[in-house]
Amino acid sequence: MSDRDPQFESSFMDDYFAEADEHLLAIRRCLLMLDAAQGADVPPAVLEELFRSCHSLKGISAMVELREAELLAHHMESGLRAIRQGDVALDGGNLDTLLAGANALEAVIVAKRQGVPVPSEELAIAALGALASSQVAVRRPPADAPDSIGNARGWTVTFVPSPELVARGVKVDTIRARLLEFGKIRSVTPRVQAGGGISFEFDVESGDEASLSALRTDGVSYESLPLPVSPAQADAAAAGGDPSTSPRAWEVASGAPGNFVRVDLTRLDDLMRVAGDLVVTRSRLEDTLRRVERHVPAREFRSLQEHDSLMERQLRDLREGIMRVRLVPVGEVFRRMPFVVRDLARDSGKRVQLEITGQGTEIDKFLIERMMDPILHLVRNAVGHGIETVERRVAAGKPPDGTIRLSASTVGESVIIEIADDGAGIDIAAIAQRAPAKGIRTEEGVLDSRVLLDIICASGFSTRDEADRISGRGVGMDVVRGTVQELGGTLEVATEPGRGTTFTITLPLTLAVIDAIIAHIGDQIFAVPQSAIQEIIEVDPGSLRSLEQNELLTYRGRALPIVRLGRLFHISAAARPRLHAIVVGTGLSAVGLLVDRVAGHREIVVKTIADPLIRVDGVSGATELGDGKLVLILDVAALSRSVRERRRAGERALV
Amino acid sequence: MTEKALPAESAKTQTYIVFVVAGTSYAVPSHQVQHMEMVERVTPVPNAPRSVEGVVFSRGQVVPVINLRARFGFERTTINQRARLLVIQHGNRTVGLLTDEAREFITIADGSIQPPGDAIGNLSGGYLDGVATLGQRIVLILNIREVVESTPVAAA
Repeated sequence: MSDRDPQFESSFMDDYFAEADEHLLAIRRCLLMLDAAQGADVPPAVLEELFRSCHSLKGISAMVELREAELLAHHMESGLRAIRQGDVALDGGNLDTLLAGANALEAVIVAKRQGVPVPSEELAIAALGALASSQVAVRRPPADAPDSIGNARGWTVTFVPSPELVARGVKVDTIRARLLEFGKIRSVTPRVQAGGGISFEFDVESGDEASLSALRTDGVSYESLPLPVSPAQADAAAAGGDPSTSPRAWEVASGAPGNFVRVDLTRLDDLMRVAGDLVVTRSRLEDTLRRVERHVPAREFRSLQEHDSLMERQLRDLREGIMRVRLVPVGEVFRRMPFVVRDLARDSGKRVQLEITGQGTEIDKFLIERMMDPILHLVRNAVGHGIETVERRVAAGKPPDGTIRLSASTVGESVIIEIADDGAGIDIAAIAQRAPAKGIRTEEGVLDSRVLLDIICASGFSTRDEADRISGRGVGMDVVRGTVQELGGTLEVATEPGRGTTFTITLPLTLAVIDAIIAHIGDQIFAVPQSAIQEIIEVDPGSLRSLEQNELLTYRGRALPIVRLGRLFHISAAARPRLHAIVVGTGLSAVGLLVDRVAGHREIVVKTIADPLIRVDGVSGATELGDGKLVLILDVAALSRSVRERRRAGERALV
Repeated sequence: MTEKALPAESAKTQTYIVFVVAGTSYAVPSHQVQHMEMVERVTPVPNAPRSVEGVVFSRGQVVPVINLRARFGFERTTINQRARLLVIQHGNRTVGLLTDEAREFITIADGSIQPPGDAIGNLSGGYLDGVATLGQRIVLILNIREVVESTPVAAA
């Protein structure tokens, strides 16, 4: 089938991106450690891991024919080799070159993933090339005689078989024979690769790199073992028989991930879907049970009911189990932040310390992937807009180093992520000045934090006259808030002049299954997430008061704005003597959603609505209640927002 | 990379699924049709575009339903037993097309498909790929891209 190929290719690329991400992360982590060590006493294990990650990245980039990444990784590798051999010092300048190389690598891979033209990274390559070749000018070790046995070194030679190679007659036995022509094979280890394929790792001793290099076209990659081995050492290793007794430095550094499997998220989604289907099936079973109750002897029925409720509990356990598998530590996202902060601080001449806590806090993989860019943006903002320059900080009597705290914690069913800086705080007067059209009143510099957030999240808003390099790229605050709300979370801001700004993101732990209230409007049924509901009150339609465009209900001594969902959604319904109002939001942002009646509580499986034809305001997803029919889930946040906006528009019209 | 040379003769004919909207026969290439189903109940989506009938679950997925009668500018009719939903894969989107009926699976030679003439093109607003003449019958080949992508999206 010819239509399988693109699919195969895309899953192949997915594997590549996943693996490339891991290597990029490792490269960044190592570079940061080297930076911290400032050249003094560089831990060899770190250098080793760095080298290995670059090497692997080069290999996999070559396989997917991402030439630019291959080239960059190759030059990184050469530079690192020179450093490792002591030919080049690891000073600040060289470290910056390596950092620039890592940035360029990431840019190339990100561009490839997003399907945009891959940037040319000639500058970074040239710098890396100069770094690697500086050894030649400085001091070159005595030229090796490449095939002299006396100079034999240890190599790890990896062979990845492929159908294409087999077609050319290249198999593992062929490689083994070729290696024996110019070297000694100390051991062979088959390895299962991330994508499920198999590879063979030869531990080889040879002085002939040229011959090794010639094997590259046959699916072979190689790297030198950290230390040159003497024949005596080699013999000892051979006698030991078990190569794993001499662990390499990088293995110690990277830990032993033996107990982990990497699972494609879509497989977990499938599993979650099946579990969700089971929930629906069980609720059908329960409906049927209720219907047949009077036809079944009481004792038998009790037994049926017990099985049913046992099944309900077990299903809940099953779902929670799958959900737990989907949870990953937020640290995966946090890990790259020190790198970002370091880069930005250097570019802007500020001094910034980043404190990270709660890396171990777990959250749904899907959620945290979507939150990557928003968190990145808030951290960039904290460096760019939050933290002041050293001079200003000193002048204000603050320590010269600014501090950004990035923290995560779990509270109940929510995860809270905070990005706090101890900078100048948001200049409320300036904000108010920049946003006169918003109809916002500031009384003596006091601005409701919610209103403040509305302003800074308005699309295109920036306190700077022009977007600068630090904060002016990527997503804006409007996108940050949009993403958070899309994921069912909230964004808050607190700021204090001279003391700093804190952004707080609250996200649900996971998305898949929620408790909901089922509401009827005319002949249509909707589900309302229970977490958003404050209370449900019965309403006599005669008690509603009309005020301009709005209807209000006097409730607990306050005026509660009412949204007639039937009117908003253009659903015709007969007049009823009693209605229900679902109260959502608190305090000033409380709103009553008016429906015909509320018909109980259900546990629902949330399905997302992806197609643009049916993504309408006020609807966040869909679910099935057990009869196969689709029921829409209301987006309570969007609905109450629309009311507030309408009210604000009304106020503006009055002015 | 994926362009494997197809044998010359396989390019000559294609299988189509024929459906009827307001008395006219249309066809879509069968490889673009995921499956067909009877239409039980479509959940209306408030404030969705006019030609969007609503949403259904199809094999666990939330799928929008485009009412082709409405899309082509005909009167809506009540959905009956003969109505069929054609679930179409278009790029990474899955969209249901609501038709009056769909019962035929036919093979059409590429040679018997002509580009839509100006007169016919005007009739159906440009969402035709061609016109196939099969003996006495005329079948209009639907341009799925046009139907799916030019349906106005929901107003946010």
